Amino acid sequence: MNRNYLFLTLLMLVLAIGTFFIKKDDVYKNQIKPETLLQVITQPSRYVTTDQVAKRIIEKDPTLELIDVRLPGDFDKFTLPDAINVPLKDIFTDKGQDNLGIEDLNVVFFSNDDIIADQAWVIATRLGYKNMYVMKGGLNCWIETIINPTMPPETASEIEFEQFRFRKAASLYFTGGSTTQPVSVTKAKVKVRRKKKEKAASGGC
Amino acid sequence: MPLLIFSENCGFNSTFKILTMGPLIPNDIITGDWNFVIAILIGIAFGFILEASGFSSSRNLAGVFYGYNFVVLRVFFTAVIVAMVGLLYFDYFGWLDLSKIFILPTFLSPMILGGVIMGVGFVMGGFCPGTSFTGIAIGKTDALFFAIGLFLGIFIFGEAYPYFANFYNSGNMGNVTLTDVTGIAAPWFALGFTVIALAAFWVTAEIEKKVRKNMKEYKF
Repeated sequence: MNRNYLFLTLLMLVLAIGTFFIKKDDVYKNQIKPETLLQVITQPSRYVTTDQVAKRIIEKDPTLELIDVRLPGDFDKFTLPDAINVPLKDIFTDKGQDNLGIEDLNVVFFSNDDIIADQAWVIATRLGYKNMYVMKGGLNCWIETIINPTMPPETASEIEFEQFRFRKAASLYFTGGSTTQPVSVTKAKVKVRRKKKEKAASGGC
Repeated sequence: MPLLIFSENCGFNSTFKILTMGPLIPNDIITGDWNFVIAILIGIAFGFILEASGFSSSRNLAGVFYGYNFVVLRVFFTAVIVAMVGLLYFDYFGWLDLSKIFILPTFLSPMILGGVIMGVGFVMGGFCPGTSFTGIAIGKTDALFFAIGLFLGIFIFGEAYPYFANFYNSGNMGNVTLTDVTGIAAPWFALGFTVIALAAFWVTAEIEKKVRKNMKEYKF
């Protein structure tokens, strides 16, 4: 018999056996399941209002971690006090994920609106991180409600006036009306819980 | 203080790329308009390879039933195992997303009957539909008559369709693969088919040798 056939026979056998070793990684090994994502994505509690954020900034809440997911250029122009800049595309990198999944910290994503922040939230959630929120309305809403609050009509309820008073005070606080300098907050002891990276199966030799 | 308005979406659209290449049309790499262009190119390649494998000769094709020529078995088994093993590697390398390819729906009993009819036609006429056209292309008269019969058969099938439409559409199992039905992982099938195919190559080569020894005359 032709020698070439013997060679081809062996080659085909080796290739066929090789298919056992090329199993694709389970897509969901490092991710949460789609059903879980669907469950958490529909919870309205994943949004926080600008008022809640403002209150926690003013109270210097050490468990609050603000993450600005816009580009660094925008971050330099304007951002919230003590916010960290993690552009959306950096969420996939180790450096970007250093700020996520820290014990006892509540992450609040924000961008100009809440679309990009929402994307960041979904990506980070799929990667398995928890305790994350999105600031509803983003910075546009922040300017509208906290920096330039509009007075409610006279017929408004007491709660709305209460809210307006808070916003007015917050506006003063954030636009320099406050005499106290923002003190750098000592955050709770940071324990980085980085997710274990699964090493790709390396060859036998 | 003027109201600051920030625009959302700062050029992020192009950040995420599709990592998998194929299948080209479902992945929007090329438009569906290319379907027919690709079909013609594949058709030409298919016809060329059929002819080059000797499939335009009805003696070659029918030889598998008489034991003097197993080229049909070799060519089809080679195609099956190369495609089977090859696609698994393509999927692994990210060149083709196997979850997106089209899988013909399975109608078990109609397909078995269809296979039997096809096989009977094959051994009687010495061609299968594709090979009859390669036969015509090189000027074989028997292929021409086979193709005429083929169109007659299609016509009769079309006219008689209402009588067996129920059976024709029965037992739809959907777009399933062997892995879906049996739960056995694809590499087992790839290896199994490869071993069977390779064994068949060697065994049929021996059968061919013995049968041909007793043949006085054999022309393709």
